[in-house]
Amino acid sequence: MKIRDILTFYDKILIVFVIIVSLVLLLIPFYYFGTSAEDEELILKVQQGDQIVKTVAVANSYQEPIIFKIKGPIGIHTIEVNQGRVRVMEAPAADPLKICEKTGWISREGPIIVCVPNSLSLWLESTNSDIDGMSW
Amino acid sequence: MKKTKKIVVISLLISLGLVLHLVESFFPLSAVVPGAKLGLANIVSLIAISLFGFPAAFQVVIFRVVLGSLLAGTFMTINFYLSFSGGILSFILMYLTYYYFKDYFSLIGISIIGAVAHNTAQITASYFIIANIGIFYYLPFLILLALPTGFGVGLVSYFTLKHLPYSLTGGNFND
Repeated sequence: MKIRDILTFYDKILIVFVIIVSLVLLLIPFYYFGTSAEDEELILKVQQGDQIVKTVAVANSYQEPIIFKIKGPIGIHTIEVNQGRVRVMEAPAADPLKICEKTGWISREGPIIVCVPNSLSLWLESTNSDIDGMSW
Repeated sequence: MKKTKKIVVISLLISLGLVLHLVESFFPLSAVVPGAKLGLANIVSLIAISLFGFPAAFQVVIFRVVLGSLLAGTFMTINFYLSFSGGILSFILMYLTYYYFKDYFSLIGISIIGAVAHNTAQITASYFIIANIGIFYYLPFLILLALPTGFGVGLVSYFTLKHLPYSLTGGNFND
């Protein structure tokens, strides 16, 4: 029994269709963010619920790491900004999946760290690009 | 199939789904793309859909999600609503595809549809909770990853159904 005998013609169409759709969706962030310039200044924004609770200039983190805590409905997150990168250092114990902790470091525009149970999101914004329309 | 036997098979499928859900957490796919997972529990949903049709398969999905969240201690939290939305939408789409387009799609295609629907539902549900459109950044990666995982899950379901005894399948899948 070969896989070729199991797959139908419409299966193959579906697979190709899904690949095309995801590749098109992959290109959208490039359209918005473009290539990163050398002199850009990144700003970390922390959103809790529907308001931005903290903004940090990433450039300040090269001397020594910036560590701060954000409180949400299910607990406290420890967030670290270090050498121009951002991560969630510690997620509250009430979040069993700890997806925001597993996401690891982000260091450019585009990727976002989310903790859905705590309605918390962190992302980097460049000061010399107008992505405000994208993020709001 | 006798009623008692059907109940036994359904509960076996539910417990299998719970175990697969546990096994799934050993593979830290969330480190690759946040929120990604193998979807092994979908094997059970696919088998239930092919064996029993709507009411019983729906029971399998509902009980798996509710019992799974009770065991993990996340019942009625946001995690529960996320897996509930993903589970229900992917089940409904897989069932409709199986019911109306059985001749066109194999179990692999149906499983891929379910995986993509699961990811899309979860991302959309999370978007309503955290109100940040940037979360859709991960959707294409999740959909791309849903192809191999959905493919594998479909293959496993296909071969499982093929090797089930005649008394369970009624000879529908032993070709």
